[in-house]
Amino acid sequence: MLQAVRKLLDNKETITDVLSPFPVHGLDETLSIKRSRIPVGGFIFGALGAILAFGFQAWVFTVSYPLIIGGKPFFSIPTFIPITFEVTVLFAGLSMVTAFLIRSRLKPDISFKPLDERITDDRFVILVDTADKELTLNRVKSLLSGIHTLEIR
Amino acid sequence: MLQSPLRTPLIEGKKTYGSITSDILNPMMNKAGKFWYLGMTIAGFAMLFGVFMIFWTVWQGIGTWGENRTVGWAFEITTFVWWIGIGHAGTFISAILLLFRQKWRNSINRSAEAMTIFAVICAALFPLIHLGRPLLTFFIFPYPNTRGLWVNFNSPLVWDVFAISTYFTISLVFWYVGLIPDIGTLRDKISKGLKKNIYNFLSFGWKGSARDWHRHEITSIMLAAIATPLVLSVHSIVSMDFASSIVPGWHTTIFPPYFVAGAIFSGFAMVQTLLIITRKAMGLEAYITESHVENMNKILIATGSIVALAYMTEMFMAWYSGVEYEHYAFMNRATGPYWWAYMIMIGCNVVSSQLLWIKKLRKSLVFTFFLSIVINIGMWFERFVIIVTSLHRDYLTSSWTMYKPTIVEFGLLIGTLGIFFTAFLLFIRIFPVISIFEVKSIMKTGDQHQYETESSHEK
Amino acid sequence: MDEQFDFKKKYRNILIILMTGGILVSLAVILISKPGASRIWANVLLNNQYFIGLSLGAAFFLAVHRVAQSGWHTLLQRLPDAMTTFLPVAFILMLLIYFGIHNLYSWTDKNLSDKVIEGKRAWLNIPFFFARLVFYFAGWIALTSMIRKNSNTLMTSSDLKYHNRKILFSGLFLVFYGITVSASSWDWIMSLDAHWYSTLFGWYVLIGMFVTSLAFITLLIWFLKRLGYLKYIRPDHIHDMAILIFAFSIFWTYQWYAQYELIWYGHLPEETSYYITRLHHFKIIFFINLGINFSVPFFGLITINSKRQIGWVAIIAAIVLMGHWIDYWLMIMPATAGDKAGIGVLEVCMTLFYASLFIFIVLRSLSTGPLVIKNDPYIEESLNYES
Repeated sequence: MLQAVRKLLDNKETITDVLSPFPVHGLDETLSIKRSRIPVGGFIFGALGAILAFGFQAWVFTVSYPLIIGGKPFFSIPTFIPITFEVTVLFAGLSMVTAFLIRSRLKPDISFKPLDERITDDRFVILVDTADKELTLNRVKSLLSGIHTLEIR
Repeated sequence: MLQSPLRTPLIEGKKTYGSITSDILNPMMNKAGKFWYLGMTIAGFAMLFGVFMIFWTVWQGIGTWGENRTVGWAFEITTFVWWIGIGHAGTFISAILLLFRQKWRNSINRSAEAMTIFAVICAALFPLIHLGRPLLTFFIFPYPNTRGLWVNFNSPLVWDVFAISTYFTISLVFWYVGLIPDIGTLRDKISKGLKKNIYNFLSFGWKGSARDWHRHEITSIMLAAIATPLVLSVHSIVSMDFASSIVPGWHTTIFPPYFVAGAIFSGFAMVQTLLIITRKAMGLEAYITESHVENMNKILIATGSIVALAYMTEMFMAWYSGVEYEHYAFMNRATGPYWWAYMIMIGCNVVSSQLLWIKKLRKSLVFTFFLSIVINIGMWFERFVIIVTSLHRDYLTSSWTMYKPTIVEFGLLIGTLGIFFTAFLLFIRIFPVISIFEVKSIMKTGDQHQYETESSHEK
Repeated sequence: MDEQFDFKKKYRNILIILMTGGILVSLAVILISKPGASRIWANVLLNNQYFIGLSLGAAFFLAVHRVAQSGWHTLLQRLPDAMTTFLPVAFILMLLIYFGIHNLYSWTDKNLSDKVIEGKRAWLNIPFFFARLVFYFAGWIALTSMIRKNSNTLMTSSDLKYHNRKILFSGLFLVFYGITVSASSWDWIMSLDAHWYSTLFGWYVLIGMFVTSLAFITLLIWFLKRLGYLKYIRPDHIHDMAILIFAFSIFWTYQWYAQYELIWYGHLPEETSYYITRLHHFKIIFFINLGINFSVPFFGLITINSKRQIGWVAIIAAIVLMGHWIDYWLMIMPATAGDKAGIGVLEVCMTLFYASLFIFIVLRSLSTGPLVIKNDPYIEESLNYES
C-alpha cells in the first residue's frame, strides 16, 4: 500500500487521506504529515499544573491557614513535591487526550457511519482528491495497474 | 524491521489481518461458555459477601474490625496496598514496555490495563470505608469551606488521595484511548441493533484516518511517557504512608523503590494468573504465546530478586544501625508471634520466585500459574508483616498488643477479589481482550510466516 | 564492519602527558598548600569510586541488555566491554586506601570509645573490610572478563554457545552486582559517616553509576564518530542512549528525593546528621548537585530532536558526568575533609590523572579487536534499527 501511495504522490495526485485498520509504519513520512504538537500542549499544561499545585499548597500553608505540623516549617518544599508532581501528570495527560480528541474531531455520536465497514478490519483505503471524477479515475487506474488493488471507485 | 533469527515469533501460525480480527472478536461475540458462568457465579457470590461486609462495617462501625491500639492499621491497608501494587503491572506493561519498544507487550497490554483499573477500584474502596463516618469522605479533598480549613498537604495520606486519583484517571484514559480504534472494529463487525449503537457511541466516530492514527500514536507514547513516572510515584507515595513515620521497620529510606519493585512483582503474577486462563478459555494461544509467559516470568524473577535484595538490605541495616529498636523489630518479625507470616512471606516471595532461574520451570504454564498465585499470597503477607509486626511491638513495651482479624475483614478481602474477578469477566465479554490494531501492526515482524518468505505486498 | 580502532601514538602521548601532569601538579599542591591527609585520601577514594562506577555501570548496561534480549545495542557492545577492563587497575588503586584508612574512616580508630561503632565492629574492622574488598573485585573482574571473553570469541566464531554463555554470565553478574554494589557502597562511602545509615544508599549509588556509564558511552560514541569510526551508528541508536540518560537521570532524582524527603520528614537525629552537614556547610554545592543532575538532562533531552543529535547529546552527557562527580564529592568530602574540603587544583588534577588513566585503558582495550562483534546473532537488528 505504501507503494501505491508513493506512486500516486509522485504523479502529483492529491491524497486527502489514507484509512487503515492500524497505524502503518512509514506512512506519516510518505504523506508528509507534520509532527503533531500535542506533546507541546501537554508540556505547557503540565507546567501550568505544577505551578498551580505548588502555589496552592504554598498559599494554604503560609497565608490561608498556617499550622505547625510535626515541627515542620510552614513553607515545606519537600512535602509539596508529591502532590505537585501528581497534578502535573494529571494536567499533562488530560490536556493531551482532550487535544487529541478535539483535533481528530472524535466525539460520541450514534449517527456516525464509517466510509467502509471493512477498513477497521483488514482493508486500506486511499482517498484521492479530485475535481473531475472520471479523469482522475482513469489516471489512477493506470497508475496503479502494477500494484495489487481490490477496487478503485 | 528485521528480526534476529533467535527471536521466537510473537504471533504463531499464518495469520492475516482479517483472521486477527475474527480470532479476537469471535470468542467475545459468541455465547459465553459454561466456565464463564461458573466463574461469574463464584466471583459474584464473593462480591455479594464483600458488599454485605462493607454494609456491616459502615452500619455497625469500625469496631467490627480487629484493629486496636496500637495496631491501628492491619488487614485493610494491607489489602489496599496489595491491590494498588497489582495494578502497577498493567501500567508497566502498557507504558514502560512501550517505551522500551518491547513488541511482545502488544498482545497483553489491553487486559493488563483493564486489570489495573479494576485493581485500583478495589483499592479505592478502602479509603472510603475505613473512615469512621464514610459520609464525610469528601473531607479528604481540598475544597473551600466555611471553616476556612484545608487538608494537611504535609501528610502522605493526602498525597495518596491525589496520587491514586491521578493514577486511576490517567490509567482509565490511557486504556480508553487505546480502546477507541478497537471499538471501531467492533462497531463495524456488528450489523445492527442496540449493541451496535452502543459501540458506535463509544467509538467516538473513529474512521482510521492516517492523521488520526498519527495523533493517536503520539498521544499514546506521551501518555506512556508520563504514566511511567506516575506509576513509580504512586507506589512510592503509598510506601511513604509508612516510611515517613518513625516506627522501626517502617522508617527506612528504601521503601519507595522497594515497594515499586514489589508492586510490579505481584502485578505481573496477577497478570500471569489471569492470562493463562484467558488465553485458554478464549482460544488466544496464538497471540499470548508461551514466550509471552516466559518473558513475564523473566520480569518476575528480576523484580523478585530486587525484593529479596531489599529484604537483605533491611535486615543488614537494622543490625548496622545499632538502634536497639530496629534490632528488635527485625528479630520480632522472624521469631515473634507472627513468625509464621514472615515465613510465608519469605517462602512465597523469595524461595518460589528464585525457582524461575530454571528454564524448564520458566516455560511451564502449569508451574507459572501456581507460582503466580503463591507469589500474590506472599506479597499480601509481606505487607501484613511490615504493617502488623512493626505496629504491635514498637517503642513502649507497655503498649505491646496482639492483632486478630475478624470475619468482617476476611469478608472484605474476599469481597474485593470478587469485585475484581467479576469486573474482569465482564470485561472479556464486552471489550476485546487483546489490542487488535496493535497486534496487526506487529504482524509483519511477529508473524511466523515472515521467517519463511521475505516478500511483502500490501493492498 | 571489520574496522578496528587505531590507538595512535598521538593520543597515547596526550593521555600520558595529562596523567603525569595531573600527578605532578597534585604532588606540588600537596607539598605547597598542605591540604591535610584526609582531603588527599578523600580524593583518592572519590576518584576510585567514580571510575569503578563507570566500569561497573558499563557492565550493568551490557548485562541488562543481554538478558533482556535487546537488539539495538548490539553494535555498541565493545564500548562498555572496554570500560570494564579498568577494574583490575581499580583494584590496585583501592588497595592503596589501606595507607590512608585512618584518615578516612573514623571507625578504624581502636581507641574510640563509641558505643554505636562498637556495636558495628563485627562488620567495620580492617581485616574484614579488605577481605570484602578482595571478594567484590574478584567477582567483578571474573564475571566481566568472562563476558568479555565470550564477546571476543564471537568475533571469529559464530557458535551460538558463546552467545548463550554471555547471557549466563550476564545473569550471574547482575545478581552478584546487585548485592555487591550495595555492600561496597556501605563499606566505602556510607561508613565514612559511621553513625549514619540509609537502606536506600546502595541503590542510589547504583543508579548514579549507571547514569555516568551511559553518559561516558555516549561521549565515547561521539569521540569515535568524530574520528570517522562507527559510521553505522545512526541517530536512531543515539536516540535510545539519550532516552536512557533522560529516564535514569529522572530515576536518580527520584531516589535522591526519596532519601532526602524521608530523612527530612522523620527528623531523627541519627539520620539527619548526614544532611545537616551537607546542607548547612556546603549549601551551594548541595543545590548545584541536585540542579545539574536533574535539570540538565531533563530539559536538555526532553524533545525528540534533541535526542537524535550526537553533538548535543554529547554535551549533555559531559555535563552529567561532571554533575555526578559532584554528587560523589558531596557524599565523600564533607565526611572526611570536613572544613578543609573544597574543589580546587588538587581535585581537578587528581581527577585529571584518573580520567586520563581510565580513557587510556579503555582506548587501549578498544584497539585490541574489531569495533563490532560480527557474529552476534542480533547484529542485523542493530544495523537496521529504526526508532
